[in-house]
Amino acid sequence: MHRALIFSSLNPIYSKLSTTTASPDSAVFPKRDGGWIGPPPVFRLQNYKRTLLPPLCSASDSVANQPKMASQDEQDPRISKISSAIRVIPNFPKPGIMFQDITTLLLDTKAFRDTIDLFVERYRGKDISVVAGIEARGFIFGPPIALAIGAKFVPMRKPNKLPGEVISEEYSLEYGTDIMEMHVGAVQAGERALIIDDLIATGGTLCAAIKLLERVGVHVVECACVIELPELKGRERLGDKPLFVLVSST
Amino acid sequence: MLVREQLTMSDYRDKDPLIHGIQSKIRVVPNFPKPGIMFQDITTLLLDPKAFKDTIDLFVERYKGKNISVVAGIEARGFIFGPPIALEIGAKFVPLRKPKKLPGKVISEEYVLEYGKDCLEMHVGAVEPGERALVVDDLIATGGTLCAAMQLLERVGAEVVECACVIELPDLKGRERLNGKPLYVLVESH
Repeated sequence: MHRALIFSSLNPIYSKLSTTTASPDSAVFPKRDGGWIGPPPVFRLQNYKRTLLPPLCSASDSVANQPKMASQDEQDPRISKISSAIRVIPNFPKPGIMFQDITTLLLDTKAFRDTIDLFVERYRGKDISVVAGIEARGFIFGPPIALAIGAKFVPMRKPNKLPGEVISEEYSLEYGTDIMEMHVGAVQAGERALIIDDLIATGGTLCAAIKLLERVGVHVVECACVIELPELKGRERLGDKPLFVLVSST
Repeated sequence: MLVREQLTMSDYRDKDPLIHGIQSKIRVVPNFPKPGIMFQDITTLLLDPKAFKDTIDLFVERYKGKNISVVAGIEARGFIFGPPIALEIGAKFVPLRKPKKLPGKVISEEYVLEYGKDCLEMHVGAVEPGERALVVDDLIATGGTLCAAMQLLERVGAEVVECACVIELPDLKGRERLNGKPLYVLVESH
């Protein structure tokens, strides 16, 4: 079976992001003892929709090695804790934007661990030699995944941060453009790569990252994010590149 | 006490091949970001999975089981080394960021640059009083940024156990700027 066919852009395991009703300025953080700093959040749990993860088979893998799912209508139990650990901040960075704040996830040691494990379980043993992480929150999730699957970590950065020779890719923002850079020589033609970021919105940044890697002959196997904002249709902007997310937020 | 332990000669002998491997993977880029600066580029270390893992393992060995509940990482290269350490020792990861990046309520600490000032921010509520914390960055130069990081943590009542960096530039005397806080580094670059 060709590896290229394994990753489907359909059927991610995802859950609807629960929303806290805490006010934007209250610091709602999980405490070590399981309580909360600040007013206890009231979560409106959305309907959890789960579809079976497509099997990631290679010659040496069997379906039995995939994460076990008891039934098609059950979600991986780790996902709901991950989802509820993400804090939504209204009107940041500007009015009308509901900002998905993953820093609260990083404060929950088990949920952070589970987040990484879910990605590692999906990508381990799949001959992926490159994990590219997008500055700056991609730097938080990318390296632990890279270390666990034995891949190198390649930072994709804003302009003028990487020393030495770089290649650049311009991409559109809502107003204006931005530039993403990668080191020359960091990756070799023919390598298989993942791209990691905390969140996919319009997909512009991920798209630029895909282009950078493909320009040097790398095969982008999949883009992986903790959160997707499906209404912004970023998935469609990735073209034929599959996208895997843990949590979907509408 | 962990932080007062000095490495013995046998520690140096055991760790030395690993340290040598790590050091050899760090690339020096002259005249970046401006003429006269020899920039210590850790991205080449990240391209070597074994050397990167060894780097993390050396920190984890030192800090595991020491009741450290917070690893604070300084944007952006501290975000690369901090989380793997935090995950392995069972601590939370707290990003310390440039202004206006963190949403919600933050506390800020201003610090001095060669020319002008900058600011480091941390989320209110991320760290509780009495927690034991590490501060992680890829490199310590003058120590200004690490100092600001320590101030933020101490202002909310955390105890900074140690600052940990991959590289130290000892000629810039950053170690002295840490107000007596211990500093642990893997590689010195003159």
